[in-house]
Amino acid sequence: MVRLQPDPFLNELTNMFERTTEKGSVWVTLKHSSDKSKVQRNKMKAAGEKIEYRCLIRATDGKKAISTMVGPKDHLRFQSSYATILKARMTALKKRERKDRRKATDLDKKQDSKKKSSVAKTF
Amino acid sequence: MVYIASWDDFLEKSVQLFRSDPEKTRYVMKYRHSDGKLVLKVTDDKECIKFKTDQAQDAKKMEKLNNIFFTLMARGPEADISEVGGKEQIEAQPAKKGRGRKQ
Repeated sequence: MVRLQPDPFLNELTNMFERTTEKGSVWVTLKHSSDKSKVQRNKMKAAGEKIEYRCLIRATDGKKAISTMVGPKDHLRFQSSYATILKARMTALKKRERKDRRKATDLDKKQDSKKKSSVAKTF
Repeated sequence: MVYIASWDDFLEKSVQLFRSDPEKTRYVMKYRHSDGKLVLKVTDDKECIKFKTDQAQDAKKMEKLNNIFFTLMARGPEADISEVGGKEQIEAQPAKKGRGRKQ
């Protein structure tokens, strides 16, 4: 596990997505973490110190693992860059929404015209 | 391990799970480009909920969940997330209506 600064982490994450286009997966884990061991935390608790928590982000493609941490001050910038990367890389997902909508509206039209004709017959 | 079919259920339960045990809960996103599959998982190692999809429209929903978890995890479990999700919902809805009218 290599600890990186947020920006190099995002670059490496992009590389991971590129390496796994033909085969393999990418995992990204988010965790609320103090980045301290349990022993350290217990010591701090006993001493009455405040434990600071931040967001730990880990990523792996099964071969290489990287991680970074973001806090209250920098998570907004990080999450928008992260969203941009995901949008650019997750291109294998199906975009079916539009077709379905057209089909649905076509069906609606057909049903409507049927209704209209049946209404016309009753009159 | 339970796959949840409804996105809204998954969203609600995942936030609940995190808030009930913030120190142990993690949120994992798995993306497999070759199969075009996306799996989201939230677990505290006692309970585990998952959401699976191959639809691009769900990636947008995931973005919202990402933002919620970044906020909760970077700012703490008491952080206000009503705006994180709310803002985007308000933005997304008029856009959808607009597209509908054009057709």
